[in-house]
Amino acid sequence: MSLRGFIVRRTIYIIPVMLGITLMNFTLINISPGDPVIVRIGLIQCNTVECYNNAYNKEAIEMGLLSKDLYTVPWFERYVEFVNNLLHFDFGRSWYYEQAGQGMPISQIIGERAVYTITLNILSFIFSLLLATAIGVVSATRQNSFWDRSLTVAMLLGYSMPLFWLAKLLMLMSYYMFKFTGVANKDAFETPLIINGSFYKYLILPTLALTLGGLVFMARLVRSQLLEILRQDYVVTAKAKGLDRRAVIYKHAFRNGLLPIVTIIGNSLPGLLAGSVMVERVFGWPGLGTVFLEGALFRDYPLMMATNTIFPFLFLVARLLTDITYVFIDPRIKY
Amino acid sequence: MATIDKEELPVKEEFLLDEKTLREIETMKGAGQWSIVWRRIKKDKMGMLGFYIVLFLIAMAFVSWLLLSFDNWLTTQGYMYGNPHPGFEGSRNNLYIELWFPGMDIENPIILFQHPRYMDHANAKLPPSFQYPFGTDANGQDMLSRVFFGATVSLALGFIGQMTTVIIGTVLGSIAGFYGGIVDDILQRVIELLYSMPGFILMIFIIVLFEDVNIPGGKYAVVVIFFSLIGWGGTALIVRSNFFSLKEQDFVEAERALGASDMRIIFRHILPNSLAPIIIIVTLGIATTIFTFAALAFFGFGDPTAISWGDDLNRWQDFLIEYPWMPMFPALFIFFTVLGFNLLGDSLRDALDPRLKD
Repeated sequence: MSLRGFIVRRTIYIIPVMLGITLMNFTLINISPGDPVIVRIGLIQCNTVECYNNAYNKEAIEMGLLSKDLYTVPWFERYVEFVNNLLHFDFGRSWYYEQAGQGMPISQIIGERAVYTITLNILSFIFSLLLATAIGVVSATRQNSFWDRSLTVAMLLGYSMPLFWLAKLLMLMSYYMFKFTGVANKDAFETPLIINGSFYKYLILPTLALTLGGLVFMARLVRSQLLEILRQDYVVTAKAKGLDRRAVIYKHAFRNGLLPIVTIIGNSLPGLLAGSVMVERVFGWPGLGTVFLEGALFRDYPLMMATNTIFPFLFLVARLLTDITYVFIDPRIKY
Repeated sequence: MATIDKEELPVKEEFLLDEKTLREIETMKGAGQWSIVWRRIKKDKMGMLGFYIVLFLIAMAFVSWLLLSFDNWLTTQGYMYGNPHPGFEGSRNNLYIELWFPGMDIENPIILFQHPRYMDHANAKLPPSFQYPFGTDANGQDMLSRVFFGATVSLALGFIGQMTTVIIGTVLGSIAGFYGGIVDDILQRVIELLYSMPGFILMIFIIVLFEDVNIPGGKYAVVVIFFSLIGWGGTALIVRSNFFSLKEQDFVEAERALGASDMRIIFRHILPNSLAPIIIIVTLGIATTIFTFAALAFFGFGDPTAISWGDDLNRWQDFLIEYPWMPMFPALFIFFTVLGFNLLGDSLRDALDPRLKD
């Protein structure tokens, strides 16, 4: 099979998984106790039962739980409706985020906020990948040296530190050193972002926190992978041939160590995504993570449904990219 | 012409064993599998550090649980009104944790701690001092007492959550690995679905949906149940692959020839042989579980009425810059717990499977 065939097949494979995920989320919402309509209308002021019932029915029809003639809509019809809307990128309207008296369209919220999350994540992912590689190579090539030992202990401490607390500590440290807490405020997000200096200023601390979070995880991995490979026969051969030490490490050892590293990084992406939710919340960074957490705290069902569709989708796309990267890294891989 | 001096050649030893291997052989001498593992851990300094941290925390959680229950019992029995000041006929609220045994003067019991729920508003926001080693929080609760008695819930949640997860994973993984076929296929697809969702996000989603459920144990019972219902995938995959390789082995074949039932083969023969990875998963998993529950509590999805580190952290997180001791001590204990279990787990993994060791 050709490379293109492989990519197409893996892309199509996302569809059933996404269907399964949306079905799972949909079922969870449906079997959860409590009436979403009551959650939605909240403490409505009504003197008569009739007034309350009218408000209830109006809301239920709007939410699609009741049909126009007040019959209950079966769950599979609602699911088909949901998937149909999803295909048109229509997630409905938010209950919590309001604009001009009615809920904002969720696709608009997400479109506005996604750029913040993506900037933060891509930046810190690149930084942590580069730093982790450097640290891993230093540790593995000078095993049991002073640097290796102190780096290993530092990584272990960082690995045991809850990410949200690491972010908080960074905030405290920065406050004592520069009187700057890094909690984002409004003028950091004035458009255009590219020439907005304070945007970059407020980007520093979240990026640093997320970078450290990913770094401690990846550096351990790079080190153990490289150590295993440095013991292989072909590395010994390369050394015996009298090759330059640098060439042995980067041309022989590191290239072969990439594959398992790419696998585990690909699998750990949901963890990184969850980490981004935590860091965003701590620094008040208005990305998708904050939107999701605020929606959850205020029981904004449509918004949660939307984010719960988008996060797995991002993850699946990332995993697809990982799989495609394999093929380029390792020519032995059969697809 | 250069000749090799025969004296210089190592003719004496036929097998050249390096020092490390010799030490390993010394360790193994005359011992069962578990005592070998224990000896290996004892040689690992970091592992022993983790072991002592874990031991200390477990002892702390257990003692605090005993003390609190004993104190509650004394109060409900009417022996103690909880107020140590003699002659003060104040409230019947339990203000202090006392130790009192029959025969002692009932007016002067030994006062160990301020009760974790006692809000002494006159002494709020005090920095760490001799009387309050960890300071007091904005409600006037003693942080030392909050942290000490919070150990029970924090650790118990980690243990229970991880144990249920691993038990579900082991049972499902064993069945899938042993029988294979369609059961295995279905299990794989389910795991794939569960693993496509970032676990932390899925947990929050579920907690929000199910927070109104009334089951004994409060909100944390719901959290633990759903945590184990979505978290078993990793264990199941590892147990399954272990079963795949073990079920083709001769000893299983022999047992089957002797007429053993499937259940006997699974639970008496294959499972004990794949115990090592399960133990590693449990130890390292407890660290992750405690971290996850703390994170959930930190972002406001815990049970605010419970006494646990995560909830205290959530309550005082915004006080960090003004009153750093309030959130610092619960956070420090979460950090130590995770560190201890990580160290112990890493050491256990090296001891149980030396091939993986660097």
